[in-house]
Amino acid sequence: MAFDIDDYTATSESVGWEDLDFEAFKTDPLPEQTLRSLRYMCDVEYHTVCYLRDLLVTPSHKERDVSAFMTMWNREEFWHGEALAHVLGLHGITVDFDELKAKRLKLGWRDKLGPLRQSILGNVVGNDFVAVHMSWGAANEWSAVAAYRRLAKLESHPTLSPLLQRIAQQETRHVAFYASQARDRLEKSKVAQKLTRLALQNAWGPVGSSISAPEDVTHVMKHLFGSEEGMKEVRRIDSNIAKLPGMDGLTIVADSLAKRGVAA
Amino acid sequence: MTRATAPRPPAGESDSDADDLVPGAEFNVREFARTAVGSHRPGLDLEVYATDPLDDRTLDLVAYLARLEHSTMRHLRSVLVTPTHKDARVTAFLVTWAYEKYWIADALEAVLDAHPSYEAAAAGRLGPLARFWHSLAERVEPIHESVIANAIGEDVVAVHSATGAVDEWVTRAAFVSLAEQADHESFRALLEQLAEVKARHELFWSLQSRDRLKRSPTASDLARRRLARAQLPLGAIDESPDATRRFYAALISDDTIATIDGRIDELPGLAGLRLLERSARETPRRGGLEGIASWIGRVAADLTTRRRA
Repeated sequence: MAFDIDDYTATSESVGWEDLDFEAFKTDPLPEQTLRSLRYMCDVEYHTVCYLRDLLVTPSHKERDVSAFMTMWNREEFWHGEALAHVLGLHGITVDFDELKAKRLKLGWRDKLGPLRQSILGNVVGNDFVAVHMSWGAANEWSAVAAYRRLAKLESHPTLSPLLQRIAQQETRHVAFYASQARDRLEKSKVAQKLTRLALQNAWGPVGSSISAPEDVTHVMKHLFGSEEGMKEVRRIDSNIAKLPGMDGLTIVADSLAKRGVAA
Repeated sequence: MTRATAPRPPAGESDSDADDLVPGAEFNVREFARTAVGSHRPGLDLEVYATDPLDDRTLDLVAYLARLEHSTMRHLRSVLVTPTHKDARVTAFLVTWAYEKYWIADALEAVLDAHPSYEAAAAGRLGPLARFWHSLAERVEPIHESVIANAIGEDVVAVHSATGAVDEWVTRAAFVSLAEQADHESFRALLEQLAEVKARHELFWSLQSRDRLKRSPTASDLARRRLARAQLPLGAIDESPDATRRFYAALISDDTIATIDGRIDELPGLAGLRLLERSARETPRRGGLEGIASWIGRVAADLTTRRRA
């Protein structure tokens, strides 16, 4: 089904959390390993503006729908970061702008060269490269929905779980955009299919793996997906990706978890 | 009555203890994000234009202003490939800024749509040759910025801030001027409302540029060199020279030019640029040899600044 951009922009809003009972954390605080996973997710959400950069250097930013989506998507993700930062703050973990800046500065040359690589590929390969971005985005958003739902279920916390469900709900609309964009673009071009398959198979890693320490990535993946139920979610994400035109048989999420020693 | 310029920050001083560490610290980015202004459509009375339409000259200006507000993404792209993207306070601002600008453009487009017989002026867009050069330049730009701006480092943030400030001074003055000229109550009220939204954008960039230019002579030097080559307002680069000339002629008076040039003069290291006077009077540079010469000039300016630093 086509993605209705006007409906999306008109109904896009910052995730609300004021009505939730945050006092519950005083009597029922979150355990250490959950806070570590939340911190990871919070960093990823705040980092969306840097992913946006990679999309903007491709020719896609000139398309009206893409540009409108990116404006709203970027803001929704920023507010996911704010919501998670609020929860972390109640547990004595401060996430402020200066600390985020320090983290971004630590990323070094790989981060600096990222946009250069993206602009060259985006502008030399052209529109087919946009399909790679959209498919990559779809894989990431499917993973994000699964991650939030898993954590909501694992914790079953009266405040955290509804908050994570709300965030996951917004992420499902991001999935709808990326997946419909990816499908349309892949259907139109065999070259785009080959490029996308190559990129996903060789370069995809769990969301956040490009900005976080490897031990944090492994912790989060084990925490959320290192069980039979977790692996069921992983297989579901992979089967969604495999349904995109030309991506038949790909199991990139299961493969990347296996590489990190995560299993049921 | 909406003022032509937003409240000015005190020159060279701030009431915040954190000022030395955090540029523009008195602007609360989180509060700005929390109180972002979204769609203006629920409060718009569009039916009024059926009985009391705007004239084509005004609608041309509305279309131009809408395109400027929509050009955010292109500017954002150039900004985000540079070290500016590391500054989480600035990027948090950019997220909401882009959102508010999207809805400002949307409100203007709603007014245009309420005039079904209006057709956008054909002269508003670039010709085929200009489009070719333009598209080439647009492709090269992020590659250029990724390399040069990353080599320069954090001083680039000051350049983006100063450019952002001047852009907001010009565009906000245009909204206010169009409101003053409009003999249409509903349209005037909308423009005043949109100018209020833009006041916070103006304040953010003004504070950022004041503090960042003050703390680094290299940043001032770079800002001076880059602004001297900038095409303002932002987004004018995608417009035909005629459309931009009409914009200045209709909405930016000589007094406003003098006021804005005066404000630029007050920014550390930027005195005497006469940037607005030049932008309003000169024909914007286009593609071809002139475009290439301009690009070489910009690279040379960047590299000189880098060497001096």
